[in-house]
Amino acid sequence: MNRSVFWLLVRKDLYLLRVLSIAGVVIGLLALFLMFFGKVAYAVGGVLYLTANIASALMLAMASLLGERKEQTRLFALSLPISGQQYDLAKLVATQLTYFIPWLIMTVLALGMVALRPTIPAGYLVFTILLQGSFLTLFCVFVATLFVLTSEFAGGLAILVVNVMFTLFMIMLSQPANSGPLNTSHIVWTPFAKMTLAVEVLMTILSIIFALIAISRRRDHL
Amino acid sequence: MTIESSAQAFALRGVGKSFRYFKLEGLDLSLPLGQIMGLVGPNGAGKSTTIRLLMGLLAPEAGLIEVLGYPVPARIAEAKREVAFVADDMRLFGGATLAWHMQFMASIYAGWDQAYAVLLMRRFGLRAEQPVRSLSRGEHVKALLLLALARRPRLLILDEPTSGLDPVARQELLTELMEIVRDDSRSILFSSHNTMDVERISDQIAFLDRGRLVDVRDKETFLERWRRFQVDLPLECRLPALTDIVAESREGRLATLTTNHFQPTQVAAVEQAGGRVHEVQRMSLEEIFVASVMRNRGEQLS
Repeated sequence: MNRSVFWLLVRKDLYLLRVLSIAGVVIGLLALFLMFFGKVAYAVGGVLYLTANIASALMLAMASLLGERKEQTRLFALSLPISGQQYDLAKLVATQLTYFIPWLIMTVLALGMVALRPTIPAGYLVFTILLQGSFLTLFCVFVATLFVLTSEFAGGLAILVVNVMFTLFMIMLSQPANSGPLNTSHIVWTPFAKMTLAVEVLMTILSIIFALIAISRRRDHL
Repeated sequence: MTIESSAQAFALRGVGKSFRYFKLEGLDLSLPLGQIMGLVGPNGAGKSTTIRLLMGLLAPEAGLIEVLGYPVPARIAEAKREVAFVADDMRLFGGATLAWHMQFMASIYAGWDQAYAVLLMRRFGLRAEQPVRSLSRGEHVKALLLLALARRPRLLILDEPTSGLDPVARQELLTELMEIVRDDSRSILFSSHNTMDVERISDQIAFLDRGRLVDVRDKETFLERWRRFQVDLPLECRLPALTDIVAESREGRLATLTTNHFQPTQVAAVEQAGGRVHEVQRMSLEEIFVASVMRNRGEQLS
């Protein structure tokens, strides 16, 4: 594999998508900051936080994968000295990194806020981990889908599916039986929480494997 | 298996590729090093498909492809170190400047010629700090060409490169291409609808139509062999059966014959049959192209 071109292409995507990545973190930070100012601000901040995470995940994946086809830059990138498969692999790594880096920052900050703010029950640490995990999982599922279905229409459908999955996840998480143990002063890993985390990890890994398989089977690269 | 192609810029042997509504079949085409080949064909002829197969962007279903001696698509990454490719539907990264792109290319290609890039930038009237998104269509094509030419490729592949350019820019590009092949080791393949551009700079010309190679020859042979002659023929006389006549039409006494292999014996045979040849005309590349395609389509139908 041509490593130097591979990493140049990864760095190129990190550079070109930096505005979206940074915007996601800034809005997320703003949302977390808002949550310090009373009940209403807490609710508004919470909604903004969810929106910032989901929107940046979808927008980053769309801009990275569908954007290069829509803006016809893929052909230029494919003219560089790298094979089609290597290019797609670089694209997968770059797309994952453009989201993973801001996601990691947000995760650390969100967990820090829960740990440091005495008014938030410690049980929310588990809730925050599950929530952050769901963002990453949905992002990976979305990216894997866009590696197989490359049209804008398919992208729209995938957004719909991701939104439905996230809504179902939030409904499940907010059921009293599930959310009750999270709303305590102790960190409790209930069977539900463990199962949810396991599913998130599994789906994330499977999505990446799925994308890798799609890349390895692709013979035409346009 | 490999193709014996040490002196070839590229070679395709029996290459096939099919899509839902289009099929490229049995394509045999090669270009000696140091030459320019013009690939001419109507829309949907297979020009872009051929070029994308050469660039390893599409995998052939049949046949063998080599570019600068590298089998494609197996070793396309190595081949692309020495190949530059520009297509009319190709775009640079809109969020970056031309200077960023030049730096990006310099970090990839060891042979990047910064002085030449700056020279081309001035010649094409481009500004390094201008974001690519704000470039006009013509400027965008020029920027792509700058990035392709300044890496000093051994093979330059251009898919409809002049389609977005004004006449002056087109002239500049063609002059630049002629300059490149002064170096005998560099080769160019370019596709175009514009037969005037092709006629002006090509050494070799290939006609494609509906996924098939109709004809391929060096330019001079094309221009020397094709002729159209007009014959005044009494109504009671019939045209003699001549070889190498690809088209004939008759309106009253006036008959027009087109040949793809002109020989004085054809004129003699017509005159022997009672006709009088008014004029033997040379044909332009466009006329030759149209006649070739029409003949090919006629043969396919029959």
